[in-house]
Amino acid sequence: MEDITRRRALGLGLGGLATTALAACGAPGMQAGQIQPVLPPAEGPVSLTYWAWLKDLQNVCDIWNSQNPNIQVQAEFMEPGNDGGYAKQRAASDAGGGPDIGQIEFRSVPDFVLGGALANLAPYGARDLASRYDRTTWEQVNINEGIYAIPQDSGPMGWFYQTAPLEEIGAAPPVTWEEWEAVAREARNLSPDTYLEVFNVADASFFVSMAIQAGAQWFSTEGDEWVMNFTDEPTLRVAEFWDRMIDDDLVNTGYGAFSPGWYAAAGEQKILSVTTGSWGDALVQSTSGGAGNWKVAPMASWPDMGYGSSQLGGSTAAIFANSQHPREALEFVTWMTSTPEGIDAMIKNSGIGWSVSPDYIGETRQAPSEFFSGQNYNEEVFVSASQDQNLDWNWAPMTERIFLILSDGFRTKLTAGTSFVDSLAEAQRRTVDAFRNVGLSVRAGG
Amino acid sequence: MKTAQKRAPWILLAPFLLLFVFTFVLPIASAVGYSFTSVQRLGLFGEGGVTSGFAGFSNYAAALEDGGFIASIGRMLLFGVVQVPVMLILCVILALLLESASAKWPGAFRAAYFVPYGIPGVIATILWSFLYVPGISPITGLFDAMGIPVDFLSPSTVLWSIANIVTWTYTGYNMLIIIAQLKSIPGELYESARMDGAGPFKVAWSIQLPLIRPALVLTGVFSIIGTLQLFAEPQVLATVAPAIDSQYTPNLSAFTQAFTNGDYGVASAQAVIIALAAFVLSFTFLALTNRKR
Repeated sequence: MEDITRRRALGLGLGGLATTALAACGAPGMQAGQIQPVLPPAEGPVSLTYWAWLKDLQNVCDIWNSQNPNIQVQAEFMEPGNDGGYAKQRAASDAGGGPDIGQIEFRSVPDFVLGGALANLAPYGARDLASRYDRTTWEQVNINEGIYAIPQDSGPMGWFYQTAPLEEIGAAPPVTWEEWEAVAREARNLSPDTYLEVFNVADASFFVSMAIQAGAQWFSTEGDEWVMNFTDEPTLRVAEFWDRMIDDDLVNTGYGAFSPGWYAAAGEQKILSVTTGSWGDALVQSTSGGAGNWKVAPMASWPDMGYGSSQLGGSTAAIFANSQHPREALEFVTWMTSTPEGIDAMIKNSGIGWSVSPDYIGETRQAPSEFFSGQNYNEEVFVSASQDQNLDWNWAPMTERIFLILSDGFRTKLTAGTSFVDSLAEAQRRTVDAFRNVGLSVRAGG
Repeated sequence: MKTAQKRAPWILLAPFLLLFVFTFVLPIASAVGYSFTSVQRLGLFGEGGVTSGFAGFSNYAAALEDGGFIASIGRMLLFGVVQVPVMLILCVILALLLESASAKWPGAFRAAYFVPYGIPGVIATILWSFLYVPGISPITGLFDAMGIPVDFLSPSTVLWSIANIVTWTYTGYNMLIIIAQLKSIPGELYESARMDGAGPFKVAWSIQLPLIRPALVLTGVFSIIGTLQLFAEPQVLATVAPAIDSQYTPNLSAFTQAFTNGDYGVASAQAVIIALAAFVLSFTFLALTNRKR
């Protein structure tokens, strides 16, 4: 008798464990963005964690920590988002843990909102901070009537070019994309393997930035429904343009900007320029023998549509819904991203992208650069670029997915000759399917 | 006494059973469970609530209708048909050479051939990518200088560039398994073969090859399963090879579906399909090799 009860007890215990394990798992990705309680200010000192891929971020936190004994921030390094950082943040957050603050790119913030992972900061007074941030960046964290992250750095785009080959061609930095095409044709005459720029079909980010510049608006909402429009007029014109650039062999499609192949080619002046975010300055400075031979100009634009510049990259500091101290985290993040002290510390230690403050670009960025031929390029090019942006553009959930779909389509440009124009329509169809598969209501627009 | 005897095996088995259930049975059961589940969300970001329900076979239908996923399975079949025989032939030749009487420093060579297996797949792929990327690779540089343009990363060649990395990594490992089997062949067999006047080739063909058959079948099954599970090499090589997309191999496809698309239902369905495919292929291989006997 004793034996049976014990064995049954063991059996029940096992069964019980199994059920709790199953219940704890649930179906992954099932977290709802439920209504969050507004937490009161902490009593006594709090300690916060910040997961980010910025280097030496702890040095920045230490400046704050020494002045704020009651709010101590610990930085923890994490792989860049798409290299595994986001998966780690998601898994930790789904399991009820994770950091108080996490680095998330602008384009991925809605994705985390979809999982219910982020705290809405509006109840903690975040709306009053709007004037401290560039409008472009602020509009991208203002999601579904909430503020779900604080801008940290951004990537207004410009044109980095090597001066000597451009002089050889006899061209000035192109102002319009039409002029850019003419320079690209000239560059092909310098030698059989010389190109003005690269176009990486494996990463759709650049193309999306081009569409944003032209005035595209891919993601809009009507009530509770998403409306996808990947084939609006500006996007199609951009697609036709790059289709022609590749068909006419005017861009190198062998590798992406700042890849090992790119550095090798740029060092030999086989790649003459790159259109990219302001953060490209640090990367361009790694080209061999580049010092004094590069300059920066505003990126080419469309005379009859869109905006002077666009954006590539840029990230936010988001506060997770699991954090017990969102108020205190917001105080720290506001200091870090919008005061001269915080911005200078992030530039010096972490080499962040463009400052998101409209009033302060950072002390070191106000001086001329020796590498860029003594040019004061930050004030000359990027200050106005950061203001000349498509404010109507907003991101949607599932951007990682959408970028994969786009690049899968763009690759077929090389493997099967499918035009960008055609693969955009297909990408839109697959995106609508993907939204439907995760249970969102969605339709194709246009 | 009797009850205690009945209990004892269960108590002794408990550590194994617990680990087995929690790390093996439950994950598989939950994957199969998810593969029959779909999700519904209310509101733009699911803020109105999330519900899940039984999806029937719709996730399986979605997986099988996905051209990219089906293409990845076809690609791996092609890969396996070429790479597995090449690797097995290579490892048998190496094993026979190292076990032949005239081999010099067999220990040193055995270790040398085995070293690649000790290098993690990610590192190996990064190393090889430096030999593949044009402009950096001395090999493409050499061919270019001879006027023969080669591109190891083009859409038509990149699969074989991956096969090269996989062969490089696993030949030494499979060779060791075969050497172990060769060593278990009793010395008398060789002796009597020599008495009968058999030369080295006759010995290899008539004695060694038939007797290492079990080891060959084993390495064959492992290689077939390994082929279907190819993941790290294409994942890493994708950063330098535009032709490798997010669905290049079946595992890459399931990974993408789960962790970037958040579509766990279809991802689980794909995982189950991959497991079934590996199962069917391995058993077909075993059935074919056993029938010949």
